[in-house]
Amino acid sequence: MLELTEATRKRIRELQELADKAEGGDDGARLELRRRLREESPEVVAGCSDSARSYRRLLAERSSGGNPLRKEAISERAGRMALELAGENPTPLEVLLSERVASLWVLVELQEALLAAWYYKANATSPTFVLQMARLQESAHRRYLAAIKTLAQVQKLQGPSRVQVNIGGNQINVSR
Amino acid sequence: MAWERRGGNLYYYQVEREDGRVRKRYIGAGEVAEMIAHADETIRRTRAERRERARTELEEAKGLALAGAELHQAAEILARAQMVAAGYHRRKGEWRRRRSA
Repeated sequence: MLELTEATRKRIRELQELADKAEGGDDGARLELRRRLREESPEVVAGCSDSARSYRRLLAERSSGGNPLRKEAISERAGRMALELAGENPTPLEVLLSERVASLWVLVELQEALLAAWYYKANATSPTFVLQMARLQESAHRRYLAAIKTLAQVQKLQGPSRVQVNIGGNQINVSR
Repeated sequence: MAWERRGGNLYYYQVEREDGRVRKRYIGAGEVAEMIAHADETIRRTRAERRERARTELEEAKGLALAGAELHQAAEILARAQMVAAGYHRRKGEWRRRRSA
């Protein structure tokens, strides 16, 4: 179940509209947003987390090249990464954001491997394909870094005054 | 690659594109020409298969990235809603706390 349900999509759209108004300075919208997040977000976030786990499993399957042992190893490693990133007593949103970082890590690794293979047979592959693949990989990497940053920002709301996340050589610091 | 009949005999030519122009190169006739034609055909088929494989891999990679796009967007919206509800706003891409919040 990779796609979000229509009900989840609708709630997310509504939350987005409220966030737009609140960010524009509407205090009433901010109060309403707080109420909606308190009452509805656990369910919405849970729906997204289910999709995130399905996505991670799909990526692990594709990365494994059909080898069940490798699939299990990739899935397990990404799962551990998500747990580690979420930290102790995570909120449902932190769990979702950690799942997303772990999924994007698998995607980036997969695309890097594909790109490396294409470079290796560069004289046999059209430069256009290599270029398209490189763009795709760059875009996944940008999303991956953005996901790490978002997680760090949300974690900063919950706890210590400084959050540092180190993943695969990428370090993101967020300080108050 | 092409065989051409001239005066009852078949002659093999390699056709190449050079600087946007098509150039025909005479190879010959007989058994050797047939062997070269066979080799050319194998190379052509292998290249076409590689192109097809590359295209399929690229499509798959695009599909995988696209499959996570909605989830990525939803997570961003939820995180943003959380930040805004907590009294933050974005300034030049960075989150700042509102004084009034």
